[in-house]
Amino acid sequence: MRTLLKNGRILDPSQELDVVGSVLIEDDQIVEFGDVRDLADIDEVYDCTGLWITPGLVDPHVHLREPGATHKETIVSGTQAAAAGGYTTICCMPNTTPPLDNPALVDFILDRAASPEAGGVFVAPVGALTRGMKGQELADLAAMKRAGIVAASDEEFPIQNALIMTQAMEFCVQLDLPILAHCEDTSLSKGGSMNEGAMSAMLGLKGIPRSAEEIAIMRNCLLSLHTGCQLHIMRVSTWGAVEMVRQAKFLGAPVTCEICPAHFAFTDEAVGDFDTNFKLLPPLRTQVDVDLLLQALNDGTIDCIASDHSPHASHEVDVPFEEAPFGSSQLESAVGVTLTFLTHKGILSPLETIRKLSTKPAQILRLDAGTLRPGETPVAQVCVIDPDCEWTFDRNRTFSKSKNTPFHGMPLRGKALLTFNGGEIYRDALFEDSRYSIQ
Amino acid sequence: MSRNLIGIRHLDKTQIEDLLALSAEFKLRILEEKAVPKMDNQVVGMLFFENSTRTRVSFEQAAHYLSMKTANFSSGSSSMSKGETLKDTILTLRYERLNGLVMRHRMSGAASLAARHFGGPVLNAGDGQHEHPTQALGDALTIIERKGDLNGLTVAIVGDVEHSRVARSNAWLLSKMGADVRFVGPRTLIPPHAMMLPGKVYYDLATGIEGADVIICLRLQKERMGEGLLSSIGEYAAMYQVNKDTLHYAARDCLVMHPGPLNRGIEVDDTAADGVQSVITAQIENGVFVRMASLYWVFGGDFAESGKKKSKKRA
Repeated sequence: MRTLLKNGRILDPSQELDVVGSVLIEDDQIVEFGDVRDLADIDEVYDCTGLWITPGLVDPHVHLREPGATHKETIVSGTQAAAAGGYTTICCMPNTTPPLDNPALVDFILDRAASPEAGGVFVAPVGALTRGMKGQELADLAAMKRAGIVAASDEEFPIQNALIMTQAMEFCVQLDLPILAHCEDTSLSKGGSMNEGAMSAMLGLKGIPRSAEEIAIMRNCLLSLHTGCQLHIMRVSTWGAVEMVRQAKFLGAPVTCEICPAHFAFTDEAVGDFDTNFKLLPPLRTQVDVDLLLQALNDGTIDCIASDHSPHASHEVDVPFEEAPFGSSQLESAVGVTLTFLTHKGILSPLETIRKLSTKPAQILRLDAGTLRPGETPVAQVCVIDPDCEWTFDRNRTFSKSKNTPFHGMPLRGKALLTFNGGEIYRDALFEDSRYSIQ
Repeated sequence: MSRNLIGIRHLDKTQIEDLLALSAEFKLRILEEKAVPKMDNQVVGMLFFENSTRTRVSFEQAAHYLSMKTANFSSGSSSMSKGETLKDTILTLRYERLNGLVMRHRMSGAASLAARHFGGPVLNAGDGQHEHPTQALGDALTIIERKGDLNGLTVAIVGDVEHSRVARSNAWLLSKMGADVRFVGPRTLIPPHAMMLPGKVYYDLATGIEGADVIICLRLQKERMGEGLLSSIGEYAAMYQVNKDTLHYAARDCLVMHPGPLNRGIEVDDTAADGVQSVITAQIENGVFVRMASLYWVFGGDFAESGKKKSKKRA
């Protein structure tokens, strides 16, 4: 089986490559890219004129909800959503029920992700840092690493005790395991449900101050500097947060960070009349934050874009704002939102866009992904994106089980149309149109 | 056509004027024992998820004046305590064919959610720390009766602004009607971004109420102590209590108001609460009339239909 992705714009940040050319996939491997000459016995051709051919996207931050909350999402539905979003590798978070804090659960997740009904993307589990994510004693990190976790995190229950965090970091240095840290000083954020600011004052909601995020980032960056532990800060939201990361990088701490699309697409004003689809953690901030987050994306302080896909069932979201859970489903909107708000606005070049959606997260988590170089990924991982496809995001036409999205009804420009992970795992209906017909 | 009354923030000046004119008209008719509109085909649900005897009785009295029927609902004995969501409770009442809802809930935004699912008029009787529109209307009527107009008045709202829906609703109403609003209280009890609410912030009582035409005292909830927001009740009283001594900073004919229930000896003392400048009992009385007007208004009535031509010209 030989498949030719013909005449697209090849964007591969792992090789600083931005050329027009083709990619040849034979069976489940990329065998040639660029100026493909060996055109004999091609079984399928995709005309990619005007489209981007990129490494499969890599999402460092996804909640698949299984086990425990399969009414929100399952490994099957979540991986299907990922494939439709252009992803070939996703990291799943450990805040399941029970928490992912032991090797048996790691095996379970990998088995489910590899099942034929799943979406065909690779799932790289992230294990709990502490047992039960209670922030007290370390989880079985060594055993979980042998079972296949790629990083450790206590996700939404960040370790408050600095000594325990230090010990966790020391242990992770020894195991050569990155820590993904949601940074929040819960003594400051307790009871809050949106950004502390003009909107929270107006709506009469308890605010989450920016200092809750920034203090925790500063602490974790300092501990990373002193222990040498690789620290990846999840979903930054304030200008102060990126300033802390910038300083930490300047000091030589092994620190990286990510942003979730909603945080550069919206401000806290989007909460409007108590719309729980805009209840995120950390909360949506202000225009000043968005402006400086865009700058940090542009200058590379923010390393990558993570969907922070956090599905919740409708009945859990259609409640008073303070009762609603934090988070939104974003796997299937991330590419469109990123291109609309960053690439087409000149914040990121096409190559930088793909670096932040694929190559960089793969490097941070040391995954064999994020490149088109033959042999450097276990199987061919390719995403074809139409950067100019204009479409309206419709939550009723998604693979995710949950519909809690802030992007419903939003016109977007840019869409993943085709995803290969070994074989083809997703092809958008648009590719059936004459414009993209298989020759 | 029915309307919702969720917050003063959502109203424009004309709507506020309409509601106040209606309230004054209903008050006159009740006091003169004249006829008021009969709305005896309407059944209104009284949903008090948070206990409030005074507000509930005030709404019930207003409904009785309008010959409405009320259906009472208390959260303690309802299916809410069996884990039903607010949405389902509202849908149940909708399909039991209640015509309107008056709702008090401890969470900000609960009234908006109810309005989304009910499909008929919803009147917010207080949602968390968000709004309490009928309190602000009653306060406004009380001020207008004594000062003639709200435009140009200086009104100081003193106390726990952060946790007060009364402060928010009053600030919106007074500022929309041209009054100069001041928030007075300790830094811990005024939202960090209160400057975005329509008023100026003062941390000192004497400067905050200097020359004020009206002082609205807010109730200090004692649980704020446990949250570390105050050093002591005594110190708070010493710094922010409205009494005959501190009243000297305000205008000589300054009104003293309080939404109740009072913590006598804390935010206000007897010399102010029971003094000649106090209009607290008038606030309670006017509360009934503005609730009549609000009920009439959310069911689609307006001033022109209330039976009397407007005497005051609109600006």
